[in-house]
Amino acid sequence: MLTRRLLLAAVLAVAATPAAAQAKLPIVATFSILGDFVKNVGGDRVALVTLVGPDGDAHVYSATPSDAKHVTDARIVFTNGLGFEGWMERLIRASGTKASIVVTTRGVRTRKMAGEPGHGHNEIDPHAWQSVANAKIYVANVLEALVKADPEGKSEYEANARVYLGKLDALEKDIKEAVARIPPARRKVITSHDAFGYFEGAYGIDFIAPQGVSTENDASAKDVARIIRQIKAQKIPAVFLENVSDPRLVRRIADETGARIGGTLFSDALSGVQGPAATYLDMMRHNLRQFAEALMS
Amino acid sequence: MYDLLFAPFAEFEFMRRAIVGMLALSLGAAPIGVFLMLRRMSLTGDAMQHAILPGAALGFLVAGFNLFAMTIGGIIAGCAVAIGAGVVARTTELKEDASLAAFYLVSLALGVLIVSLRGSNVDLLHILFGSVLALDDATLILISAFATVTLAALAVAWRPLVLECVDPNFLRSVSRAGAPVHIGFLALVVLNLVGGFHALGTLLAVGIMMLPAVAARFWATDLTRMVVIAVVVAFASGFGGLLLSYHLAAPSGPAIILVAGLIYLISLAFGPVGGLRRRFAPGRHLEA
Amino acid sequence: MTAAVRFRDLTLGYDRHPAVHHLSGAVADGALLALVGPNGAGKTTLLKGIVGLLSPLSGAIDRNPSAREVAYLPQIAEIDRSFPITVYDLVAMGLWRRAGAVGRIGKSERELVERALATVGLEGFEDRAIGTLSGGQMQRALFARLLLQDAKLILLDEPFASLDAGTVADLLELIRRWHAERRTVVAVLHDYDLVRDRFPEALLLARSPVAWGPTAEVLRPENLLRARRMCEAFDTHAAVCDENAA
Repeated sequence: MLTRRLLLAAVLAVAATPAAAQAKLPIVATFSILGDFVKNVGGDRVALVTLVGPDGDAHVYSATPSDAKHVTDARIVFTNGLGFEGWMERLIRASGTKASIVVTTRGVRTRKMAGEPGHGHNEIDPHAWQSVANAKIYVANVLEALVKADPEGKSEYEANARVYLGKLDALEKDIKEAVARIPPARRKVITSHDAFGYFEGAYGIDFIAPQGVSTENDASAKDVARIIRQIKAQKIPAVFLENVSDPRLVRRIADETGARIGGTLFSDALSGVQGPAATYLDMMRHNLRQFAEALMS
Repeated sequence: MYDLLFAPFAEFEFMRRAIVGMLALSLGAAPIGVFLMLRRMSLTGDAMQHAILPGAALGFLVAGFNLFAMTIGGIIAGCAVAIGAGVVARTTELKEDASLAAFYLVSLALGVLIVSLRGSNVDLLHILFGSVLALDDATLILISAFATVTLAALAVAWRPLVLECVDPNFLRSVSRAGAPVHIGFLALVVLNLVGGFHALGTLLAVGIMMLPAVAARFWATDLTRMVVIAVVVAFASGFGGLLLSYHLAAPSGPAIILVAGLIYLISLAFGPVGGLRRRFAPGRHLEA
Repeated sequence: MTAAVRFRDLTLGYDRHPAVHHLSGAVADGALLALVGPNGAGKTTLLKGIVGLLSPLSGAIDRNPSAREVAYLPQIAEIDRSFPITVYDLVAMGLWRRAGAVGRIGKSERELVERALATVGLEGFEDRAIGTLSGGQMQRALFARLLLQDAKLILLDEPFASLDAGTVADLLELIRRWHAERRTVVAVLHDYDLVRDRFPEALLLARSPVAWGPTAEVLRPENLLRARRMCEAFDTHAAVCDENAA
């Protein structure tokens, strides 16, 4: 009797060991910023695959077969939602995955888009992470999903999240302080990025779309005149126009209006590891620095 | 009327700079274009935008995205091609057009090779070409200087240049100025073209060089008058095109060239010298 | 007697084929020489050699007048008729020696041009575009240019081809005047009657010289026959020339 129970216990123990030394939790995050959140909360317990990597454009991403495989094998798939990854639904269906799909923006108070070509009026702005308060909501959702899928890691996840949330708090404080230092009349920029709506709402810098001048190679005089008038009329101190292909034109606009030319902004994706925006925290700090430098007199 | 024609220039500095740039380009490039056309070298401008690639590429290799280095490189490459072609045409049976074609093709291939050495798939020429709406001080000074040099050179070398075009054998028999004048002319072509590319882009530089010259052909039988008309047409195209770009949001370069093209078509149809109307409806003949 | 041009065993040609073969002799200063021979005899080649447009394959040409003192009227003037200049501009080019590349062409120069045009029968043609001239008129204009060049040595290659008799007479008068002014004139001509009539000296060329001297002597029938036979001897497979055998 005792021997059989011992044997059973041994067998069970042996059976359980592989389970205990099981591979990390397979996770897919749709894009780099989300992946960064997940990595910070999940730590070593997760094996993370990010679909749209650094410097990638999630708006127009084409999924590959290997992406489909990762999605199939995943336990959790983290998405942004709010219309950010239009291609995701098809990918999920095609992969036939049994993973739980987590929309990390659940609970975020959404804004409407400013009405840019490609996004149109009355569409919801998906770039919710631009507000740190929202980022905390992302993190909370990620935490909840991880704990649900992997209860054993609960204490580790919670510890990681706590640390990360602390960093986010510090970031928010820094942003608010930096903006406060900018004279109120100067808190506006022109940028062709349409992704800073939540930043505007949270921290009070006006992001104004340039009228006319865009990525076209051959601008018209009317476009240039319009944007100059706009900058002068609204007294906008800085222009962030990196996707205008002719840097001399940007300089001419800046010279004629007295505006400063700002540096590169990262809004939809992280930079590569060598770049200035390799993590979410880095990205926000980098953008903040660009704003501050351009807007301080 | 004021609002239509002059207010844009009064209100915006970039418009004022654009028209000044067009004036400089007209004064420099249009006379050169007349001579190119008369020498049957009208496609030189097109060939040249390809020929300058190795020079710009070397400038890029040496100094990165340094516009100055790339432009200087472009001028050197352009001169090498133009002058090489000119020398070959003078000393062999090959005519100017064949000689130039051979040189610029080799130059272009060389340029592509050099760019590929760097590894990155950078569209060099794109960066090299400017826009009439984006003229800063340095660029304005550059094209004004080129225009001045061109006008001065033409004034000095007018007679040998004309002779070189009309009766080169006679020139050779009375003077040794033939070769230097020919080569100097080609250098001027390169200067105006590359300066034009740098400041205003290829379409505008080549277009303003050739279209007014071709239009002027239908209005004048005398060379001096032809040159003057070409300059006027060039400037008028710049003025009209900029206004079109301002009021109708047309891209600036194409707008200017389309105005020039329109003037050309009108000249072709109604010009007193060889225009189509005279040909098909000559009217009553004269006494003598 | 000084020579305007001296030929020393001159061979001129293209691509090693001789067009003028072992010519020696001298053109006297002030001579009025007709250069005659069948087609393909090397007459144009010889003129080009004198002007300096061709280098000798062997031998030499000594030319006394400097390059600036030579005026050359080619057989087919490679003038771009469509170029938009006037007759005045074209003829005024003859004043290059006076005015150079940038010298002023002022009132006195203008008078010279007008007088030259009048001499050749083109008065009033100053402002006509050169593209509007007939063949004869263009030839007259080129003679006017020659006049203005004021050259010591004048070389004319078939100056009267396809011209009417009136024009030919007028231009011959010019040549006579030049001869009176002690200029050296060498003219390639096909009209043997005209040569006998107006040119005291002739050189009959059939690649190699056939005869050179007073016209009556040179233009004897046996010479002409010999010349014709010699001319038809272009050989793509010719051996290298042994000078002593010539």
